[in-house]
Amino acid sequence: MSVIDKKHPERYDTPKEPFALDIENLSNFVYDMQHCIKCKGCYWVDHTYMPGMKHSVRCPSNLWKEFDSYGAFGKMRIGLKLEKNEIEWTDHLLELIYADPLCGACDVGCKRNLDLEVGLTLEALRVKAVQDGAGPLPVHKDITSDILETGNCYGAKKDRRAWMDASVKPAEKADIMYFVGCSSSYENTGIASAVTKVMQSAGIPYMLMEDETCCGNIIFSVGLVDEARKIAEKNVEKVRKSGAKVLMTGCAECYRMWKVDYPKLLNIRTEDLGFEVKHFIEVAEEALTEGKLKLVNPVNQRITYHDACNVSRNCDPWEPYEGERGWMGTVEPRLARRRGRHGLYEQARTLLRAIPGIDLAEMPRMKENSLCCAGGRGTKQAFPELAEFAARDRLEEARYVGAETVVSACPWCRSNFSETAEKDGEKTGVLDIAELLAMAAETGEK
Amino acid sequence: MSINKHAYQAIEAVVGRNYITDDPADCEGYRSGPGGYESGTGYERVMTKIAGAVVMPRTTEDVQKIVKICGRFGVPFVPYSTGFYGPRSHPHMEHELIIDMKRMRDFEIDEKHFFITVQPGVIYSQIQQECFEKGAYVVIGGGGAQTSAVANLLNDGWSPLSFRVGLPQRRILGMEVVMPDGEIVKMGSLADGDDPFWGEGIGPDLRGIMRGYTGLLGCLGICTRMAIKTLPFQPEIPKPSGISPETALQLDPKRVRWINFTMPSLESIEQAHIMIGNAEIGGAVTKVPVFWRAIAKAECKEDFWDLWLKETEESVSNFFLVRVLLIGYTSEEQMDYDYHVLCDIIEELGGKERRTKPSDESWFKNADSAGMWLMTGSYVSVDYVMDTFTQAFKQGPNYRDLKAKYTPPLMPDCKDLGWFQSCEMGHLGYYEYLIYWDQREDTNGMDQFYVESAKMNIENGCYPALLGAHQPLYLTGPAYGPGYHEWILGLKEVFDPQWICHPPLPLAHDEFVERAEWMHEVKNWETPEEFPYPEKLKENMRLEK
Ligand SMILES: Cc1cc2nc3c(=O)[nH]c(=O)nc-3n(C[C@H](O)[C@H](O)[C@H](O)COP(=O)(O)OP(=O)(O)OC[C@H]3O[C@@H](n4cnc5c(N)ncnc54)[C@H](O)[C@@H]3O)c2cc1C
Ligand code: SF4
Ligand code: SF4
Repeated sequence: MSVIDKKHPERYDTPKEPFALDIENLSNFVYDMQHCIKCKGCYWVDHTYMPGMKHSVRCPSNLWKEFDSYGAFGKMRIGLKLEKNEIEWTDHLLELIYADPLCGACDVGCKRNLDLEVGLTLEALRVKAVQDGAGPLPVHKDITSDILETGNCYGAKKDRRAWMDASVKPAEKADIMYFVGCSSSYENTGIASAVTKVMQSAGIPYMLMEDETCCGNIIFSVGLVDEARKIAEKNVEKVRKSGAKVLMTGCAECYRMWKVDYPKLLNIRTEDLGFEVKHFIEVAEEALTEGKLKLVNPVNQRITYHDACNVSRNCDPWEPYEGERGWMGTVEPRLARRRGRHGLYEQARTLLRAIPGIDLAEMPRMKENSLCCAGGRGTKQAFPELAEFAARDRLEEARYVGAETVVSACPWCRSNFSETAEKDGEKTGVLDIAELLAMAAETGEK
Repeated sequence: MSINKHAYQAIEAVVGRNYITDDPADCEGYRSGPGGYESGTGYERVMTKIAGAVVMPRTTEDVQKIVKICGRFGVPFVPYSTGFYGPRSHPHMEHELIIDMKRMRDFEIDEKHFFITVQPGVIYSQIQQECFEKGAYVVIGGGGAQTSAVANLLNDGWSPLSFRVGLPQRRILGMEVVMPDGEIVKMGSLADGDDPFWGEGIGPDLRGIMRGYTGLLGCLGICTRMAIKTLPFQPEIPKPSGISPETALQLDPKRVRWINFTMPSLESIEQAHIMIGNAEIGGAVTKVPVFWRAIAKAECKEDFWDLWLKETEESVSNFFLVRVLLIGYTSEEQMDYDYHVLCDIIEELGGKERRTKPSDESWFKNADSAGMWLMTGSYVSVDYVMDTFTQAFKQGPNYRDLKAKYTPPLMPDCKDLGWFQSCEMGHLGYYEYLIYWDQREDTNGMDQFYVESAKMNIENGCYPALLGAHQPLYLTGPAYGPGYHEWILGLKEVFDPQWICHPPLPLAHDEFVERAEWMHEVKNWETPEEFPYPEKLKENMRLEK
């Protein structure tokens, strides 16, 4: 019995309602949807960091289209109707639910003051769309069949390892397994080469995954959880069998999948995966601190760092939860809310500052306040205008701080920025952090 | 749903198809509640409706055209700046149009004359940063850094920073308003050129009508531009620090400093407010509810209740803390002087300085009122009392005793006395009483308490701020006017004879009391047999039933 029950047993008798952090049942998030207060903390940059009139918004969807229905607060309200099956799925409603990169800005923004599960609610809305037979969008279905058929999200038939040249020397067996991901295997192959070059320069052995296939990011993100679960099971099993201690990705989206969404799909804790999940920037930063990685070649550029959502606010470890909600909305057992504290904010900056010649300028929207480029999670494929809009806004911000180059730790951001810059004739350069580190790293191998 | 088809098409021709919608999902996205200010209350459930359509104008001319079209087709509309003010900023009629002002975000700062000019889409934290950069600051209403400065100043406008200029209407300078008939009225010196520096004139000064003490909640026109007084600050721009949720504004302790003092008694807190005001030092003096301290320490509901349930009525009634903000407006020496005067006052009263963080988490730039919902999920401020300092101060025990009768459903707060502060350098007292509950419970008691508190204020001769548009007008009007209700209704008749601007305000709470059966037992004031609505509104209400 709680203290309050003891004090006034006759007065406070709120019945307890069971719930779980399970996105496969939207009802789990009814309390959260009912308690959204329209404070728009999910939309604005944290007010403490508010830079003024410009660059003040961190929700790309609602910046793109300004009706409240595009913001998390709008979707939370619509979600209540969906949960009760009181609103019809239409193309427009599908746009509201899917024109959204699930960037997590709303989730950390909301949890600045409250304890609502906004990010999970948005995921649950996608699952609900699929359960109702309305989602995902046709283009997402095409990508899903491509992945299931070819093992990659481009439907590419060519060899996944075609990017490897003679300089790439993975070990047969190593503690670290480098999971390259679709984008770096087919589109942004320079990132894969750069990651391996830096690893070799630091003398850190790594192996590659045998028969690597897509991590399933888009499949999961559009709400196809059953299909995504199969991929998760298969991939996790492969790493366990390999004996690797660390699964390393060079892609922010893969990182979140492995670290957060696989455990979520498998209903286990991240720490129970049987191996650690790290992004390349964590490994590189450790190597730098230990003196293994030497950044010696000057790169004379003024750059800015774009915190990709999935190496920042979206990557707190996962912990399954089942409990009850009662008195004044309190839950039992205690729930440790994921607030984005585990973001790799400092790792990236430490690495960049260590490069000789680099002049790192921060954009007003940085770290957990970063504006997502909307290039990931199946958003760009379905809503290219949204992805271009967000990338353009961010490139403008980079120019505003005088940066010559935008650097991120995600190949999907890299593609979106460079494609948009090219389309606009924009001069700002775009690089992945691995590419920059590869330029600066000591050549030769240890 | 939607609104009149012809009106919709005409408005679409004004703003373009991307800025108007009647899609059911979009309109649902604008729903008032079920969470938020006053949400889950009877008022929200009984009085609010889903919008028929939403439009986002860009210019004053757009607003004017939209309002005229609404007038032509009899479409009710409600101005909506950020929509944080709960049910009161949402439609109360079927087929009503929300005029969402967020695209109107022009901002200008006149550094030399210390004022800014903004449209309603501009929010306080944006303004504060721009002001900091020019050595100025504004009073961010305690309702939040995320609220529209225009909407806040039309209705409220208080925070501990009101210590220097406490009457919000004094911070409103020139103003541009689209009246309910679509005429544009330029107030203050804006009427004579483009310089908004004077609120009083040359030109009409209708601030008393537009906002009075706490405004008419958007039922007498739409403000499209407002010049707002800024106050001189000190030169250091406070720097943000930390990662969410532990973010704060770092202050230079030589120029800006919050200091907490423990005091020996409630009387000594009252005296401290008065003496600091008399000494004309500082930037804020306040005593906040004790449970806010627990909110500040808690990260989630469970943390809060763990902390709060350790308190008892005795521990709360014996906790005396006053919080003072010092600002070195002109120099470090001035700040030092103020500090010594402050210490003398506190010493004389038997108080003690406590260690206080050299940062600001909640008043300067991030008035994070969202934290109000952490404890129970539902919240409303029942009243703001603006009165002489001593009169305002007296309200604490009155509210505490009344609230006890309604607990539960209201949160057990160990008989906390509420929030008070000094405004206008001690010439004005501000008292706010806040209540919290779980909206999943039976909340009829909360609805009754709200109205009972107005009756209590009348009985005690206290001047509350939540008058007409917030409470039953036929209850508060005769008491405070005595013809206040007739005056407000007369204005409504003259400026909005069709009652299309946010109907049925200013009679919405009267209407609620009539419609909600559980309110009948607390109704003991006179109302006319029929409210003086125009025939068309009566007909629409009949149709909605
Ligand atoms: C938790 C909480 C605490 C609060 N504490 C304080 C406090 O300490 N101090 C304080 O000053 N206030 C306080 N308030 C009130 C708060 O400041 C108001 O919510 C705010 O002023 C309204 O701004 P908004 O952008 O939310 O306006 P909205 O919700 O958009 O509108 C508020 C009202 O103004 C009308 N309106 C909106 N725009 C216009 C316009 N352009 N022209 C004419 N009418 C318009 C609307 O119809 C509505 O009736 C509190 C509110 C909350 C929820
Ligand atoms: S921050 Fe949270 S509570 Fe506030 S509007 Fe956004 S989702 Fe709702
Ligand atoms: S996930 Fe990102 S884009 Fe989607 S609602 Fe939240 S902040 Fe906006």
